Amino acid sequence: MEKIEYKQLKETLYHERLANGLEVYILPKTEFSKTYATFTTKYGSIDDQFDVEGKGKFQVPDGVAHFLEHKMFEQESGEDVFQTFSRQGASANAFTSFTRTAYLFSCTEQVDQNVNTLLDYVQSPYFTTKNVEKEKGIIGQEIRMYDDNPDWRSYFGLIEGMYQKHPVRIDIAGTIESIGNITDEILYDCYNTFYHPSNMLFFIAGPVEPEEMLKLIVSNQKSKSFTEAPQIKRYIANEPGDVAIKDHTISLPVSVPKCLFGFKESNSYLNQTADQYLKQEFLTEMMLEALVGRSSTFYQTLYDEGLIDESFSYSYTLEQSFGFSMMGGDTHHPDELVARFKSEVPTVLEQGIDYETFERIKKKKIGSILRYFNSPEWIANQFTNYRFNGADLFQMIPVLESLRIEDLNDRLHQHIAWDRFTVSKVLSPES
Amino acid sequence: MTSPNFKTIEMGSIRAHVLTTNQFKSTTFSCFIQQPLQSEFVTKTALLPAILQRGTKQYQTTTQLQQALDHMYGAILFGDVFKRGERHIIQMGMEVANEQYLKESASLLEEGLHFFSQVLLNPITENEHFHLGYLKSEKKNLQQKIESFKDDKMRLASQRLLESMYKDQPFALFNHGRTSDLDQISAEGLYTYYQDVIRNRPIDFYCIGDIDVQEFTEIMGNHFSQLMDHERKLPQRTTEKAEVEKVREVVERYDVKQGKLNLGLRTYTTYQDDDYPALMLYNGILGGFAHSKLFMNVREKESLAYYCSSRIDSHQGFLGIQSGIEIENYSKALGIIKEQLFAMENGDISERELIQTKATLSNQLRESQDRAYDLMNAHYHGVLSNKERSISQLLTHIEEVTLEDVKRVAQKIKLDTIYFLRDKGGANHGEN
Repeated sequence: MEKIEYKQLKETLYHERLANGLEVYILPKTEFSKTYATFTTKYGSIDDQFDVEGKGKFQVPDGVAHFLEHKMFEQESGEDVFQTFSRQGASANAFTSFTRTAYLFSCTEQVDQNVNTLLDYVQSPYFTTKNVEKEKGIIGQEIRMYDDNPDWRSYFGLIEGMYQKHPVRIDIAGTIESIGNITDEILYDCYNTFYHPSNMLFFIAGPVEPEEMLKLIVSNQKSKSFTEAPQIKRYIANEPGDVAIKDHTISLPVSVPKCLFGFKESNSYLNQTADQYLKQEFLTEMMLEALVGRSSTFYQTLYDEGLIDESFSYSYTLEQSFGFSMMGGDTHHPDELVARFKSEVPTVLEQGIDYETFERIKKKKIGSILRYFNSPEWIANQFTNYRFNGADLFQMIPVLESLRIEDLNDRLHQHIAWDRFTVSKVLSPES
Repeated sequence: MTSPNFKTIEMGSIRAHVLTTNQFKSTTFSCFIQQPLQSEFVTKTALLPAILQRGTKQYQTTTQLQQALDHMYGAILFGDVFKRGERHIIQMGMEVANEQYLKESASLLEEGLHFFSQVLLNPITENEHFHLGYLKSEKKNLQQKIESFKDDKMRLASQRLLESMYKDQPFALFNHGRTSDLDQISAEGLYTYYQDVIRNRPIDFYCIGDIDVQEFTEIMGNHFSQLMDHERKLPQRTTEKAEVEKVREVVERYDVKQGKLNLGLRTYTTYQDDDYPALMLYNGILGGFAHSKLFMNVREKESLAYYCSSRIDSHQGFLGIQSGIEIENYSKALGIIKEQLFAMENGDISERELIQTKATLSNQLRESQDRAYDLMNAHYHGVLSNKERSISQLLTHIEEVTLEDVKRVAQKIKLDTIYFLRDKGGANHGEN
């Protein structure tokens, strides 16, 4: 087993790639009460066109990855796996994102049993016509809940505005109509393509003994037989450089309108990996912090004018085939807010971000990374996310320290382009 | 590992609760200030943490204040208000990096506590009142926050239920206050109110991190001594425990696709009662977890909802059930929820449900020890109730609860209000 020490962070990580291809990472956290484990497949909502062994190219209904996640909890024994975890004192959950599906638990006792339960239920699918039909009602209510949620609608409205062809523009849960077409056979095809151990990563953090834990996982995996690792062939449509809809308005009754805006990442800066991936993510976040963060003049001026309120925030998402920045929040004056942003940007582009600001933001970021390391949940999820993008979580601080002011100002010019800019607004029907 | 225990230090009229641990890579400290939850104070109390974060005598603009935080390795300054029964709590604090993980080793704890004392005790003022411009923008921000809260229908349904169930009583008040009060709040009036709160209301400080208790006490003495010599108390008038005469049914219509069915119950059991651990079990078996009756029956068996759960307020004796359903399924969902309540009352609870709930509740409590904020909040429940229950005591008590105890608690609990938030079309009743 590989042992990697990170002196500055006082953390030691253990890693092993098992014979079946499963990547296992163990992070002992002896002072913690809790053990947190995630078992994640590199398969999310954007993986909707791919080759199925023996069947050729396959286009699945929208919302399949998420539906599959729900159905994993059903077991052949008839017992819902939540029941098993509860009996063993664990709290279990799962989530589906654009690029990943993660199954997880946290517990303070019976860690070994819970690890086995997690590995076992995710590796024994049980889909029937009946149990697939039953889930449609539940997910239907999940979709309805999001339909009524203006924050979600504006978030998705921005992505729909940015992307013309890329499947990131499709809602993770699909629609009530699209999930109507899901069958047990489709679920098995997706499962067999994406849930092979060689496409998965297991991460565990907590008061565990690494050698013992690895032994447990190895013996669990040895007791099962797996097919040869399938070759995964995904198809993703070519996305044009410019946006789909420059000004996307969603009609939903709201007391305070929502307004989000941002830039789609340039196609020249996708497919980033290793330290370059981290570098681009940090630089873009730092650039947004300098432009519109709480310490910026822009933020405080607009706040005091009442154009934004404390809900205003920013974020940057970067994956292999897509990426975007996002800013905004609640406002009674969405158009004026966007106009102010548009007039602010050219000045910053021209003058550049100064050295003092760069250093201040860098310090702030180092402090926030340390804080994140208090959370085993964050470590496990972020580690997996970075790993699937070929980057290493534990390189965050070294990469941050290596950044230069020139890099930051270059990033400004790389990311900002008005043909990649979209606005998403949620407005009441009458206004 | 063993349960961590706070060390409480009386410092004049304030108390400091300190927990030394090397578990975290940052140090968190905060203060909790109590205020009666009353309509005449609620909005002013909600404004205080916001206005105090705008500037100090040293850092006169918010930009300067925020940049100073950035320089302290992104120290976080936070402030919020929440309800604990009929008390309104202001929580403000900071989280600073533990300097041993940094290349420079300045004392961020001392610097942070000094900074925090300036925020709390030396806000930027103009002629003995709060800064007019900052007050104006904080009022506007609060107004917008209260308005946009209505756009989150899950939270709106919970709040509207409380407003029906506790009509004209303090517990019906929203923790962020009322927009109708904002016009009357002046910079002078709010400043006088602030001084009264800071001088006369009970204050508890918390600090969690790799710190020396002695050192912490000294720093507190250096920066907060002016708080220590006032007499502090809470004018408390407790609302009488209401009896339920008839179950109230409320239907409200909004432009929505999904209906929100929420139920409010009176438990007649609070944190200081011996029955509190049994109430925790009751809530866990009914709707606290994914193995609970509500989740299993409303969601898993009948596919009626994505979420259906219950929660308790430890100080008010309130239990709320919440679910999101197809509007036409109102009667069916309500029927199934009532069946679960009835089963609880009859003690129709399997050994397995009891064991699972003890295991998951205990796990939840042990896990809370890994989060500084949860540790503070859990301890503060005891402070507010004059009943200290350490995590290990609570774990023992949960283990000892029997089926009979749960049944006894269940028989005290009364359904009070059924609230349904639904669409604008269709018939007048739940069904269409």
